[in-house]
Amino acid sequence: MQIFPCPFCGPRNETEFHFAGELGKERPDTTQEVAAPDWATYLYAQRNEKGPVREVWMHLTCSELFVMERDSVSMEVVGSGSLREGAE
Amino acid sequence: MTSHRTTRAALIDLGKPLRFTFDGTAYQGFEGDTLASALLANGVRVMGRSFKYHRPRGPLGAWVDDPNAIMGVTLNGRSLPNCPATTTPLEDGMQARAVNAWPSARFDIKGGLDLFHRWLGAGFYYKTFMWPDWHLFEPMIRKMAGLGDISRNVLEDYCADQVHDHCETLVIGGGAAGLAAARAAAEGGQNVVLVDDKPVLGGGVHQLAGVEDFAPRDWVASEAHAIEAAGGRILTATTAFGIFDHRMVGLVQNGPFGTAPRLHRMRAARIILATGALDRPVTFASNDLPGVMTIDAACEYLARYAVLVGKRIGVLSNNSLADDKLAMLAEAGAEVVRLNPADGAICALGRKQVRCVAQGRNSHKVDTLLVSGGMTPLVHLWRHAGGKLDWCTERQAFLPGAAPEGMVAIGAAGGTFDLDAALAEARAAGSGVPADAIPSRYKLTPLWPEPGSKGRQWIDFQHDVTLKDVELAARENYVSVEHLKRYTTLGMASDQGKTSNMAGLAAMAAVQGRPLPEVGTTTFRPPFVPVPIELYHGHHEKQLWHPLKRLALEQEHREIGAALGEYGGWLRPGWYGTGDAKAHIRQEILTARNAAGLFDASPLGKIEVIGPDAEAFVDFIYYNTISTLKPGHIRYGFMLTEGGIVMDDGVIARLDRNRFVISCSSSHVGSVRTHLEAWRQDGNDPDRIFVHDLTDHWATLTVAGPKAREVLTDLALDMDLSPTAFPHMTMRETRFAHSPLRVARVSFTGDLSYEMSIRRSKAAELWQALVAAGERIGAAPIGVEALSILRAEKGYIMIGKDTDGETMPHDLGFGVPRQKKKVAFIGDRSLHSVKANGARRKMLVGLTVSVGDKALPTGAHLVEGTPLQSVGYVTSSYDSPTLGHPIALALVENGTERLGESISVWHMGETRMATISAPCAFDPEGARLNA
Amino acid sequence: MRNDSNKWDAPAALTVGHTENGVALTPIELTRQTLISGPRVLSQADWSIVGWPGIAPTPPYALSLRRDRVLLVDGPDMADGWQEDTQRAISDASDAYSVFDVSGDRAFEVLQRGAELRLDAESKSVARLLFGIGVLLYRVNTEDQFRIHVASSHAEALVKSLKLAISALRSAGQGNSRPEDALSKTS
Repeated sequence: MQIFPCPFCGPRNETEFHFAGELGKERPDTTQEVAAPDWATYLYAQRNEKGPVREVWMHLTCSELFVMERDSVSMEVVGSGSLREGAE
Repeated sequence: MTSHRTTRAALIDLGKPLRFTFDGTAYQGFEGDTLASALLANGVRVMGRSFKYHRPRGPLGAWVDDPNAIMGVTLNGRSLPNCPATTTPLEDGMQARAVNAWPSARFDIKGGLDLFHRWLGAGFYYKTFMWPDWHLFEPMIRKMAGLGDISRNVLEDYCADQVHDHCETLVIGGGAAGLAAARAAAEGGQNVVLVDDKPVLGGGVHQLAGVEDFAPRDWVASEAHAIEAAGGRILTATTAFGIFDHRMVGLVQNGPFGTAPRLHRMRAARIILATGALDRPVTFASNDLPGVMTIDAACEYLARYAVLVGKRIGVLSNNSLADDKLAMLAEAGAEVVRLNPADGAICALGRKQVRCVAQGRNSHKVDTLLVSGGMTPLVHLWRHAGGKLDWCTERQAFLPGAAPEGMVAIGAAGGTFDLDAALAEARAAGSGVPADAIPSRYKLTPLWPEPGSKGRQWIDFQHDVTLKDVELAARENYVSVEHLKRYTTLGMASDQGKTSNMAGLAAMAAVQGRPLPEVGTTTFRPPFVPVPIELYHGHHEKQLWHPLKRLALEQEHREIGAALGEYGGWLRPGWYGTGDAKAHIRQEILTARNAAGLFDASPLGKIEVIGPDAEAFVDFIYYNTISTLKPGHIRYGFMLTEGGIVMDDGVIARLDRNRFVISCSSSHVGSVRTHLEAWRQDGNDPDRIFVHDLTDHWATLTVAGPKAREVLTDLALDMDLSPTAFPHMTMRETRFAHSPLRVARVSFTGDLSYEMSIRRSKAAELWQALVAAGERIGAAPIGVEALSILRAEKGYIMIGKDTDGETMPHDLGFGVPRQKKKVAFIGDRSLHSVKANGARRKMLVGLTVSVGDKALPTGAHLVEGTPLQSVGYVTSSYDSPTLGHPIALALVENGTERLGESISVWHMGETRMATISAPCAFDPEGARLNA
Repeated sequence: MRNDSNKWDAPAALTVGHTENGVALTPIELTRQTLISGPRVLSQADWSIVGWPGIAPTPPYALSLRRDRVLLVDGPDMADGWQEDTQRAISDASDAYSVFDVSGDRAFEVLQRGAELRLDAESKSVARLLFGIGVLLYRVNTEDQFRIHVASSHAEALVKSLKLAISALRSAGQGNSRPEDALSKTS
């Protein structure tokens, strides 16, 4: 049972969290023409890295969507940061 | 029967004799005994039969390593299967019975199976029962396989308590090293927890003459008191069975027999592993005979239980540690005969117990043969945590190598077998003050299985795997240890190979002529010892397994005979009344069509979207354009996934300029809320949009039917109910019982319908008013089952039932936003993919059957072509009481272009015909809806 | 389609307190609970903000739920909707949560059966999972009086879980969960 750090709530048990996706996906502007391969990449392509990863998670109890850095092999958690602050 | 109990001061209480039976025979033991020690004290040697060959077996070990003595135990009417006799504390009145043996372990009827051993080697079942069909033989083989019988009686109150806990330093193992480390850590000011799996602390210390000038027992007591005095906690009879992510340690704390153990989920900042080491058996001919035991086990029986296992004991050892222990056996009065492994192959002789040991031309009459093949550190937990293992040639063992974060192994678990060195190492680990390592005095001559040698030599005692089986596996190319394990089942029994894994991989290494470390170990997985399933679920069973949400009006529904069932995570009335459910449902439908149905729709989502950007946000969230919706108005719409698939449907109402209420499906509230939150924070300005899920604040009661308006009129609400003032798809806010009341004209039945939401605490008052008003015009409560049919008559869909993981909105007849909507919305681009534009999309249709035909089976396939191919399936199908004939909804390729066509419906080998129709079978013009 | 009425206990009257093993489970009637969200809601110091393991003062007080949301307990009656001047979204949520107090010397032991809780690990939010159910958890008045707000539809399950946890204290002994002093038995 892992401990994840919510940027707002602090360390909490992994059962309170939900994986939302890999960091770095930007939604294409769909009011413009989006080529099928680009849309398919957006929908389906995953890096699925082994080792250090940066991911988006949601802390379900407070609904915070945030960025977490962790190691997908050792399960070590490096840290987390607000998605908003990261976006600014 | 001679007593093997000695006068040595041990850890049993001679003042408290306990009576028990084994295989029907009465015996006596003492408080502090285990089942195994008490039986050994009574001279009982055969305590079980082996898994495959039904060979007689007695204990090989004295604790968790023993593979042989497994019993079904009954006490005070409570029975537990497969209790290891070596770890089950004796209690007064216990009735124990050997598993896998009938009528008794000593005279087992299936003992004759052993004669066929030549044909029963590894892979025998796989190879033999292939033809003509494994399934023919499977029931018989399954019946013969397995250990123990489960009692048919459910154990009442057998429910594990589960508690979370944390500490700075967790010390696992209460032997010399563990006690010293815990004391040093506690006295250093750390929050310490020490756990030990035995009821009495001390590990192997009790075998010693003394520890640092104290008698072992006094030393243990003083360490324990010092730990507690410094604020440390000690848990005895508690096994650390697994280490999970981020140093979460699973601890199972055992209580009296028949009570469920307690689970501690212990989060430790630091873990000191002091789990000790096992004495490993030696592989020679007939090494499984009762009376063959490890040296350490014999010394434990003597030190803890005052049981001297034999009078004339043969000893076979390859190491200094075991040699040092032999004196205590001689002191206790045993005659010890030393055998040197270098003098030739050993063979144990005897039928139901060892009588003689032969080596070359020499043979010795013995009643017990003690063996030690060297120490195997217990590194299971180290591996659970991700620690590495290094092969140590001097010790011929895998030792803890690179450490997992926050973890250290000390004492015998780390390969430090000498007491002084272990204590120094433990105190250093506990206090954090480094100490110089004391060189090891442990000496050992490698002694491993020798392939090609004579006789039946057991590697895995519990699963009856012999050296020949390992050789066979190697010949058949199952050479990887993981393959060896699965093919021979070596290490797969309930002891998980504690005594067999090392011998097994040494045998494989020898067969292949490879160095032992190159062969490697199999994966160590929790639990370290068997634990009952109840430990894991605790109170999360029965009504708390997946607790349903409960309606505010459940009591009211129960009082009028509601049949409650689970619908989308809520406990809801399926119908009302006892007896013939179908008749009740039919009557409820007719009531709703002729007068009005009163329906508790409280689980419907009530998610408010509030803020300056709310309008733009719901436009982005919905497939349909919502921004054009005026305050007080309602629109039906879909939410899609980014893949363009319909995720939820429902209505959205606009309360004012920057406030909307999303009424998502009852079972999708959680997922819709999360969906909204995710998109709000990712790609939108979360400071200008807020999502308030108020589903639990509002109860929702629906009045649906041609006389619904009369019911509402009776409530004397302060509002104009006329169709012009309050038309379909609008919402009004008023008050009832001094509370805000929202009334929405939306319908899921196709009739005039009012959905009324009021705060939960006022629901009963509104419900009673509706029931009273309804009674006057013949309206009555209806359940979910009636509603499901009412909506199907109208062709209204339920997401996930009438749609699947490929359904897009244009498959449901809602194609306009896909073509016309200008602003971006979730899933937009996916609606124009090659797939979305494909020619053979499954679309929603209705199906009608010929006059007099039965309803179509839900799930039946619509088929055509040669060979027959499925082009769709029935999603909903009912007998319609309203229409007097069956109705059905289906998804079928190009359905909307095929209205009026006939199609074959295939189900379980039968084919029927149906006609494709529009989904709506009731009031297609909508006159009743808009009434 | 199945009648499972008998598989589920009828909702117990949650208006009655329950005391066992020195721990009291008491239903709490609040006048009002108001959900307030806004970009600056935590810094708009209208009420004292309560986090974990904070001890709430006499109402009104505001429970910190998220970086932009509080639940105001027993505050003034406020109009639902968007409040332009304060940039706040307001919803009456008085019936959205049922409220209970768990109090007594061993109350914390009860809660430790439902979550990995630490009094020395502060959290800005009172929202968490307890027995797998979403709750708002904090303290009121004293060190050993814990208050729980739970979604009304899950109150039944939470109360059941709490009662079982309170019962489990009996076998767990007082404080130290060592079952018996195994050494004294033999010395």
